[in-house]
Amino acid sequence: MKALVTGANGFLGRRVVEALLARGFEVRAMVRPAATLEEIDWPASVEIFRADLRASHELQRAFDGVDVLLHLAAVVSGGEDAQFAGTVVGTERLLDAMTTSTCRRLVLCSTLSVYDYSSTRRTLDEDSPVHQASDVYARDGYTISKWWQERVTRCFVEKYSWDLTILRPGFIWGRDHGYLAAMGQRLGRHHLVVGPLTRIPMTHVENCADVFALAATDPRARGQILNVIDGPGERIWSYVSDYMRGSCQPGWRVPVPYCLAILAARLAFATVFRCATKVPSILVPRRLESRLKPLRFENRRLREILDWTPRLNYQECLVRTYGPPAPGVAGG
Amino acid sequence: MKAALIGAGQIARQHLSCLKSLPGVELAAICDVSPATAEAAAERYNIRAWFTDYRVMLEEIHPDVVHITTPPTSHFRLAMDSLDAGANVIVEKPATSTFDELETLVRRAREAGRHLVEDYNYVFNDAPKQILQRISSGQFGPVTHVEVLICLNIFGPSGFADPNSPHPALTLAGGAIADFLPHLASLAHLFVGPHRTAQTVWIQRKPSLLPFDEFRAVIDAERGTAALGFSSNSQPDAFWLRVYGERMQATANLFETRLTFDRPRKVPKPLRPFFSSLEEGKTIRRAALTTLLRKFKGPGAYEGLWKLLACTYRALADGSALPVSARDVLEVNRMVEALKPKGPRL
Repeated sequence: MKALVTGANGFLGRRVVEALLARGFEVRAMVRPAATLEEIDWPASVEIFRADLRASHELQRAFDGVDVLLHLAAVVSGGEDAQFAGTVVGTERLLDAMTTSTCRRLVLCSTLSVYDYSSTRRTLDEDSPVHQASDVYARDGYTISKWWQERVTRCFVEKYSWDLTILRPGFIWGRDHGYLAAMGQRLGRHHLVVGPLTRIPMTHVENCADVFALAATDPRARGQILNVIDGPGERIWSYVSDYMRGSCQPGWRVPVPYCLAILAARLAFATVFRCATKVPSILVPRRLESRLKPLRFENRRLREILDWTPRLNYQECLVRTYGPPAPGVAGG
Repeated sequence: MKAALIGAGQIARQHLSCLKSLPGVELAAICDVSPATAEAAAERYNIRAWFTDYRVMLEEIHPDVVHITTPPTSHFRLAMDSLDAGANVIVEKPATSTFDELETLVRRAREAGRHLVEDYNYVFNDAPKQILQRISSGQFGPVTHVEVLICLNIFGPSGFADPNSPHPALTLAGGAIADFLPHLASLAHLFVGPHRTAQTVWIQRKPSLLPFDEFRAVIDAERGTAALGFSSNSQPDAFWLRVYGERMQATANLFETRLTFDRPRKVPKPLRPFFSSLEEGKTIRRAALTTLLRKFKGPGAYEGLWKLLACTYRALADGSALPVSARDVLEVNRMVEALKPKGPRL
């Protein structure tokens, strides 16, 4: 089996390549033309394919002999339009190239952000409502582009009868990526911890990569949408503490009840920021909800359909993230 | 009046938001080569039709006005076809890659009885307007000189210097800086008129994908002189406009709301700097607040684009003079042409 991985040198991508190799896949790793790969310790068998999804005219060649596409590439920085162009238009161009190939299997990396947190009560799982076109544009650029990426992908899948698995990871963490948006608002070395008892829907990068490799292999994953989280998650209060200790950044944690934070955001939005274009996410009620709303997050479907349990428990993940690097392991 | 837009990228958002707010304007269609980009914009701005082929859009929709917000090298063909389809054209700067193309467009617009408007949005920002008011009231005195300097970090990997996906503006003579020449030239033209001669310096200070990252020009114009500049290296980002009159001087940062005036005072000469600084400090403190509020409300630094579009649509509806005339477009672009690099890199 040969897998094409886009965004292969990213934080998650490089771990997905390793997980696929461990499951016996041949891997073609798509990276951007100017990407530097010195720090990545892939074996020589990994075939590097350099292309930018926004501009390359060589995308059809990337699918030569490929059985499954793992599409992880996304633009997560820059303005809303840059993210849309990189993530959505890039996906359009990639899948357009796929139509000329024999590849019929696709695993898409999406996100929990596509769910409509405002309409979700108590528990967020795969049956929770996702955003509608009427409300998604009030969200941040990342959410809009990932929501559209799913929409574009479904159109292609429907038209060409491909097998699709959508994986929606929560907050992915690991070495050098310990800081999570769910931690609240950083003020210098200190943190406003909004909803300190809320559990974070988190997945360690190695556990998450394992799910991607499993989904590429396991026929039971076909046609499924699966949320990827390691378990019930740590409480924000205790994770912030672990983060501060692990990253040697001592500071204060200031607890702020969620109801107070959302009230303040709603008040600010209604009075000052309604027409604003540049407001911190924490002051936009819908964005605040998607980062911090106190919900229970479920990975029941992932456990039941794929019989998956995380390889690493929380303590092991902490060591991998903040402890000394294992010999011969670069990055996460 | 039926409006349509080609190219649903970053600047299109400002055009669309403004058009939604204009009375008597129907946003009839949007076109982009990416179906998702076109459809997303149509959904967001409640536009009833979206296309991926602009020719089909022109044929089916018959818009009164076409906004062209694609990369610069595509403007000429799109504008020509839009004029041929009977539409007026509002085109983002730079309107064309060459002056020959621009002359052809202006000629075609005249033959077709339509209008071609290039976006000189900063000319319509509040600060230049306030300075113009003082000039026309006589307080300022005749303008002798204008300085326009843009300091903007354009090295960022997701901007002009993206090594993975070359920015379309890099194909222009002068590279990324050429994208800003119409801003510099239109402001110089506003205060000192058409140029007579221009001397330029183009420099690459740091090795990068950009052919040039510093630009300076000295211009002799019909009503005064101008010094224009673009610095990719000086920080922080700023858009300085200084206008020198015989009785007053004005300084504005067009990325902010800061605008100060200085003038001779009826106080002993040694005390003039003291009183001037007090007044300037007060104005700058007020601008600190209004700049912050401007970010939170409305179009921010694009306020001029909204005013330009509103005036243009009003003029098209009642047949009055356009805020940017064909003559303005020709004179500004003649200046832009004179500013472009001619020889090898310095």
